[in-house]
Amino acid sequence: MDIHQESGIRDAAAAIVSAFDKRVPTDPVKSLIEPLGLGAAYKVQREVVAHLSRNGARLTGRKIGLTARSVQSQLGVDQPDYGALLDTMEYADMDEIPWNTLIQPKIEAEVAFVLERDLDQEGLSMVDVIGAVAYALPAIEVVDSRIRDWKISIFDTIADNASSAAYVLGGEPRKIDKLDLRLCGMRIDNAGEPVSTGCGAACLGNPLTALTWLARQMVRLEQPLKAGQIVLSGALGPMVSVARGEVYEAQVAGLGSVRAVFGR
Amino acid sequence: MSFIQKFAERVDTAAISATAIPQITQEQNFGVDEAYAIQAASIDRRVQRGDPIVGIKMGFTSRAKMVQMGVSDLIWGRLTRSMIVEDGGFTEMSRYIHPRAEPEIAFLLRKPLSGVVTPLQALDAVGGVACAIELIDSRYENFKFSLADVVADNASSSGFVVGTWREPGTDLNNIGMIMNVDGRPVGYGSSAAILGDPVRALVSASRVAGEAGLSLEPGMVVMAGAATAAIALEAGQHVRLEASGLGFCEFRIR
Repeated sequence: MDIHQESGIRDAAAAIVSAFDKRVPTDPVKSLIEPLGLGAAYKVQREVVAHLSRNGARLTGRKIGLTARSVQSQLGVDQPDYGALLDTMEYADMDEIPWNTLIQPKIEAEVAFVLERDLDQEGLSMVDVIGAVAYALPAIEVVDSRIRDWKISIFDTIADNASSAAYVLGGEPRKIDKLDLRLCGMRIDNAGEPVSTGCGAACLGNPLTALTWLARQMVRLEQPLKAGQIVLSGALGPMVSVARGEVYEAQVAGLGSVRAVFGR
Repeated sequence: MSFIQKFAERVDTAAISATAIPQITQEQNFGVDEAYAIQAASIDRRVQRGDPIVGIKMGFTSRAKMVQMGVSDLIWGRLTRSMIVEDGGFTEMSRYIHPRAEPEIAFLLRKPLSGVVTPLQALDAVGGVACAIELIDSRYENFKFSLADVVADNASSSGFVVGTWREPGTDLNNIGMIMNVDGRPVGYGSSAAILGDPVRALVSASRVAGEAGLSLEPGMVVMAGAATAAIALEAGQHVRLEASGLGFCEFRIR
């Protein structure tokens, strides 16, 4: 990689890191990295995550993004993307998420898979993946773009840690053999109003398909998923903007519910 | 002839001839009460032709639908026997102007239901629950209408398919639903989009029917409203709805 390419990655990372630190969104970074390809966007992501981890934050798992075909076509891609989850991003059910840590947050209801085996071999089958899942939890992912007005391309969102900001886990672990992850209903309610509705199949046809995609991808990238890690499946319905001080409850049929509380 | 009868005849003729008409409120402004009177008179023409009322449909019960149609009120319409499309059967494109399909939950009544009731009373009147697809087909050009227009036009209703009736369960508020066209998914939803719980649509159906002096009788169907935005249909398509715990229903349009 020549110096010019390295500077593109460095400049993009610096812009996003600065947006994170100042809570002020930046212009899109696409032009800095697009000529270098999607791999460069993930290099930016690694630099951004290294910055977010600089005070000792631990990698707790991964999130999968762009799991809705409609969103993929909006961004002109034919596969999902992924980002890193850190312990500093995790909140428990009903924890207050400080509003001043966010820029322009939205939420999505997802399935959180918790692994009990490493998924580090080549040629993973969905059967290997199912066998590695200890249990599932309902989850709310708080997404937030560090790019102004969410004007994101695929390059911007990958570089920006797949637009992830925080995640809230429900407290009812369930074995997946009792779940219909394809046809399970999903609802997010705010103040008595369903604000997002969908079902499991909205996530690549089945959240387990998304998990399998990620597991294979991470083997290829020599950063395999490990026992104990959390994987957020991707959204089961449309993402919705959230407001300061509001409480949002997500329910996934068969998995229970989880609430995200935003600080005033 | 009163304007109620004049417009009743016009929307009825548009429906039976599958011919789009200009919005009738463009010709004469009227309110929602008059619009329901036009609907009642137009459906009465069908009843006179030997096509009895077999139930009612609730409309604009989801946020997605309200946004799509630019309105904020719940509406209702009457279902008649000729609107039934058999589950697994077919319907003719020539019967419609610009049909769309919506995934729904349907209730089958086993007891009369009318007036203000609690959710428990409403559920007590239910003999069966099924997934269902409603065919909507505004008789207005370009599917454009005001609230009064759409109410007069029987809330755009033009057909319905009901899957196998199941014992009414207690929890209908988060049923995952997948709409497929020609085997491929085109919409994902949850019954939560229907007023937060389809039972609320049933409670509303009882209330609005009571206000209109209509008693919902045993054997009648209540279509609770759509769970996702409507899907535009084309001749030759196979449409199939799957709903968690409620199986599926399907039809072809040719």
